[in-house]
Amino acid sequence: MLNRKTARLAALAAGVIFVSTIAVLLARQFSLGPARPAPAFRTFGPTGAPVRIEEYSDFACGACRAAAGKLDGLLKVYGGGIRLQLKHYPLVNIHPWSLDAAAYADCAGEQGKYSDYTALLFESQEKWGEAKEKPGEFEAFARGLSLDWPKMQACAAAPQTRQRIKLEMAEAEMKGVSATPTFFINGKRAVGPAQFIEQARKFDNILKAAHCGSLGNCTELQGSQAAPGGKP
Amino acid sequence: MNSGNRVLDILGLLARLAVGGMFVYAGTVKLLAPAEEFAYAIETYKVTGAQLSLWAAYIMPWLELYAGLLLAAGIFTRFNAALCGALLLFFEALLAQARLRGLPVTSCGCFGSGSSNSLEYEFFQNLVFLALTFAAYRYGRNFSADVVIRTTKESNPGKKTI
Repeated sequence: MLNRKTARLAALAAGVIFVSTIAVLLARQFSLGPARPAPAFRTFGPTGAPVRIEEYSDFACGACRAAAGKLDGLLKVYGGGIRLQLKHYPLVNIHPWSLDAAAYADCAGEQGKYSDYTALLFESQEKWGEAKEKPGEFEAFARGLSLDWPKMQACAAAPQTRQRIKLEMAEAEMKGVSATPTFFINGKRAVGPAQFIEQARKFDNILKAAHCGSLGNCTELQGSQAAPGGKP
Repeated sequence: MNSGNRVLDILGLLARLAVGGMFVYAGTVKLLAPAEEFAYAIETYKVTGAQLSLWAAYIMPWLELYAGLLLAAGIFTRFNAALCGALLLFFEALLAQARLRGLPVTSCGCFGSGSSNSLEYEFFQNLVFLALTFAAYRYGRNFSADVVIRTTKESNPGKKTI
């Protein structure tokens, strides 16, 4: 039988283990871990942009196609105010070719045509998304964009390419992502295009606040400009 | 207590904090990244298959975190120092076999996938930590929770409860 002092030490050890476990799980939940950046061809906008968006997406998902269109629009409207990182989260259980699509998209990206290739993937997702045999669209799109198809095939089959996608999937699961598209906008989660649009309504305020922050206090600035003679 | 013992006690405390802190850092960095990332690093040592590497990647960071915290706090100090020492010896064996086999290990995985020191560097760093672990085992029991609890008098020692 344990003596009383050993039992106290064991209780203390259990307490330390319990508290540290909860702390780690909370840190994971709030995504406090080191960020794994997306490759350059999947990253848009300047590093210091006030609005940072991270999107987990699947090329065979209809809502992701809708979100892609909205993101394009926002990037055009807000330009350098947004930093967008696209990450893969292929739902392999329901979309058998999504993982391959993500791999081919990355390989097109390495040849400088990520956006063109992914636009074609999204446009024709009904054709290849649930195909029984390996879809011919992957090759057709590559040839249509004058990409080096043999090089793309080798790249898509390479363990490094698959590993990068699987790590992004694992990272997404750690953040509790289970549906696509899921966005993290300045760390705040939005699932689906509707929640994303809801968050996007705040972009003006975020950008204005960032602009004021870089200039000093906007209220003071406005006040001093409005009352040059010292009187309001 | 003479001054020689006092110096050894402080050395033991510092060694405990250094080794414990290192294990807490190593465990936390891995726990805040996907387990698959660490699993890929383990696979490059060509000692385990993919499935076993993934299991190791799930378990090892928690073990490092708990052992490090308990050692730093001085709870079951000797047991945890011995556990940390055993883990370090195991890591040394992995590093040495990778070096001898000439395996292309790009990230040792010691502090998550971000660390990219050479195998030799990590090997010698672990030797330093092994020496500190010995000091923690040998002299690290003072200034510890072990001592505080073991030297605390029982409250109401004569009183019996029903």
